[in-house]
Amino acid sequence: MKQMTADLLVIGGGSTGTGVAWDAALRGLRVVLVERRDLTHGTTGRYHGLLHSGGRYAVKDPQSALECIEENRILRRTHTHCIEDTSGFFVVTPEDEGDYPARFQAACTKVGIPCTEVPLREAFRREPLLNPRISRVFEVPDGAADSFLATHATAQAARQAGAQILVYHEVVALLTAGGEGDRRVVGAQVRDVVRDELIRIEASITVNAGGAWAGKLAATAGISVRVIPGKGVMVAVNHRLVNTVVNRCKMPADGDILVPVHTVAIIGTTDERVADPERFGIEPWEVALMLSEGDKLVPGLSRARILRAWAGVRPLYQEGYSGDSRDVTRALALLDHRQRDGVSGFLTITGGKWTTFRLMAEKTVDKACAQLGIDRACQTASTPVPGVEQGHYWLGHRLHEVEEAQLQGDLVCECELVTRAMVEQAAVNNPTVTLDDLRRDVRLGMGPCQGGFCTFRAAGILQELRAAPGAAESAEAEWSVAYLHSPRHHLQHRPVTLAPSHKALDNPNLLLRDFLQERWRGLTPVLWGRQLKQERLDELIYLGIMNIDHLPPDSDRSPLTEFWQQGAQEGEVSDG
Amino acid sequence: MVDLLVVGAGLTGLAAALRASELGLKVKVIAKGHGALYWSSGSIDVLGYVDSTQPAVERPWERIADLGAEHPYRRLGAERVRRAVEWFAGQEGVRSLGYAGNEAHNQLLPTPAGAWRPTYLAPAGQRAGERADLRPLVVVGLQGMRDFYPHLIARNLQLQGQTVRAVQIPWSVVSEQRDRNTAQLAECLDDPQAQQRLAGALQLVVQPGERVGLPAILGRHAHPAVLALLGEQLGSPVFEIPTLPPNVPGIRLAAVLRQQLQQRGVRVEIGMEGVGFRAQAGEIQWVESATSARPLVHRARTFLLATGGVLGGGFDSDHTGRFWETLFDLPLTVPQERQHWFRPHFLDPRGQPALHGGVAVDVHGQPVDAQGRVVYTNLWAAGSALAGTDPVLERSMEGVALASAVAAAERIAGLSPG
Repeated sequence: MKQMTADLLVIGGGSTGTGVAWDAALRGLRVVLVERRDLTHGTTGRYHGLLHSGGRYAVKDPQSALECIEENRILRRTHTHCIEDTSGFFVVTPEDEGDYPARFQAACTKVGIPCTEVPLREAFRREPLLNPRISRVFEVPDGAADSFLATHATAQAARQAGAQILVYHEVVALLTAGGEGDRRVVGAQVRDVVRDELIRIEASITVNAGGAWAGKLAATAGISVRVIPGKGVMVAVNHRLVNTVVNRCKMPADGDILVPVHTVAIIGTTDERVADPERFGIEPWEVALMLSEGDKLVPGLSRARILRAWAGVRPLYQEGYSGDSRDVTRALALLDHRQRDGVSGFLTITGGKWTTFRLMAEKTVDKACAQLGIDRACQTASTPVPGVEQGHYWLGHRLHEVEEAQLQGDLVCECELVTRAMVEQAAVNNPTVTLDDLRRDVRLGMGPCQGGFCTFRAAGILQELRAAPGAAESAEAEWSVAYLHSPRHHLQHRPVTLAPSHKALDNPNLLLRDFLQERWRGLTPVLWGRQLKQERLDELIYLGIMNIDHLPPDSDRSPLTEFWQQGAQEGEVSDG
Repeated sequence: MVDLLVVGAGLTGLAAALRASELGLKVKVIAKGHGALYWSSGSIDVLGYVDSTQPAVERPWERIADLGAEHPYRRLGAERVRRAVEWFAGQEGVRSLGYAGNEAHNQLLPTPAGAWRPTYLAPAGQRAGERADLRPLVVVGLQGMRDFYPHLIARNLQLQGQTVRAVQIPWSVVSEQRDRNTAQLAECLDDPQAQQRLAGALQLVVQPGERVGLPAILGRHAHPAVLALLGEQLGSPVFEIPTLPPNVPGIRLAAVLRQQLQQRGVRVEIGMEGVGFRAQAGEIQWVESATSARPLVHRARTFLLATGGVLGGGFDSDHTGRFWETLFDLPLTVPQERQHWFRPHFLDPRGQPALHGGVAVDVHGQPVDAQGRVVYTNLWAAGSALAGTDPVLERSMEGVALASAVAAAERIAGLSPG
């Protein structure tokens, strides 16, 4: 069996896990991170993309609010290009009466969140689609975050600092040593899902950053961690209905946030406790609730074209808590299992939210360093990740670059303005196993046609990369994940052939089928009207023109095949 | 006032208008857009699969009896379906594109994904790709073309036992400009110089004895000339493989049908969506259309709904679970609860329930309600709007369109006092 050793083994490739790897590597630790699928495959890639100012929690959970505003300020410096500076409104609709607005203002002031009341005329000028019956508007420094890009950029920073990031590496079991009174976790046995190989990774400290899956992971070492999986349903509307994040000014509840994300707007969310983070459905009532609540912010939202619905599962944690998930704190929870369970060498970091991932990582690595007897200060708050020089992203950034460099003819995904070179570079330089990985890398298939055209094109391009003989040498040295979203940048690089290690890409028919199925899962909860017409065109393409349901079977299974089949049979899991 | 107002200008609407005009009716066509012909492969699928888990249908006429009782083919009978397809193949414009079949058999043609696709009639430009032909294939693409991938096609055909290789030639052979879709590339090849450049580039890569598969961009107007020129200069059979939409073979077919209608004096008004109507005593008086300038009222003795189903825009639906026919609000056989519309798998061989329903009609092709009563005495429906079939899943879209359109036109003409 292959062996590896590290100071720190991080389990989980979401925002928290990559943040831990980045922080620890900057402090000079030898770090290995394992993620069972692609980076951001879990909750990080399935949230609405809100960079919290803390306003949402100011009244109810001031500790969380304080963490949010501090981290908000830091991330704007360290992850500038992963954030759109949209600002945020808290609006009082006719249903939000009472003293909440006054309490909200006072709480923001107390926590230190800049909060100013915006004259209505000004607010409606900036956001003309807002409900005209809104009576008051407060502005706070909310933003929109691209959690896919941010996690990739963090991982890149971690790699540059020496960390090893292994995706499609699944923990089989934690390795433990010692007996009663002296138990310790000494690493994990890991399976390389693509090559189907076992690896033994020994580490002085193992960090469980498994998010909603953290409980399952801890259980492999006989430790009970009761993560409360809180399902949040989100719905994407095909227009960017607002340019500012819009929150209802009331106690947090369902469907009261509208976030502009790139070209679309996302309304969210619910909070339902679920038994299993992988097996749950999106119920018609949940979609209906998002639409009817959305109408209160932007009248007519429910009649807009809906692109997709999905759900993420929050890894909420409160020691000893067993009530409603909405009331669980959003504060981070760092569990030192030596103290808590008498098992050393093992930390669980959970709770929190995307906005506080860097802080979560800092606290975790502080604790790890203390246990290792290392005295090195955290550097992440003052260390920008690669790409910040691009500044905040903005709505037109891709279009601007495509037009400036005249790349219209190279667009593979017209909805999201993805060029052929972007697909090629992401496929070669990021460890791509499925088309869904490419979606997270470059936003392939996220737009109105939901993969109708680009799924086939991506499969064709990957096949070309494999088949084209004598292609140019690797551009790896110059390629940077920081420019994953920049059409212009990719123009400068020549395509390269895929390394033979891309075994899963030997199966273009599986890639096609799995990605179409993945898109279908997010479509069916919201498939009506014009989106249904679009879907019928996709059917005409894939059945009528391509006959893909009668392609020869590929020899292997894709790493995702089982996952999708399971989801389809036992309830729906979906992601954005 | 016309004898027949056809709403919809896809294959159904154009064929019905042509047949009715042949039979002496005064006809007008109004439509929102060009219909599904612009997207589809340009061949005439009659029946590709009765059961998607089974091999492709070999002889479609013999399998019509295996279809469900509600299927439009069952209502019409195999003979009338066959006569409609033969009528189509005999049309002057269709003949100019060389549509042909294999003596009551389906033919198998390569798809842009490299599967074999069963179809009944194919234009001359696609016929040389047939699976039954044992000669090796070379699939030639343009470097950087986003809607055609020869390596993917070759890889999959090879897995199915076909001797085939893939080659790319420079994009600049066809166009100097990168931002061109398939329809524009086809127009580039209307230029004799571009045709010569293409022939020259192909001569360098094609080996003797190979059949040459190219993306379906071989001329928009000059297609027969391009085919002839390439065949002559290469000494090899040349054929087109459909692409991602827009699909030029379908555009060519729509063009020849509209040209024939024009010659017969039938107006086809595109950009004129039917948005309202008036009925009196169970009879439709007129259909109202929306145009940029003003609403128009179209009076006719009879009306044919050929707006297609979901894809053509003939049906709409919303989040409350309502599913409706957009012009006359005809009753539909679609489940009225959203949770019954779709199955968990995109490629479920049974298809999706929401896409199987449609307008139920009587033996004469007239829309009926749940009790089987004719809804309007002078209204017919044809094509993808019909209940009882999912033509995309069955690969029967063009066959259903032609058979139901011709039957409706003949019925209307037969009832006509003239």
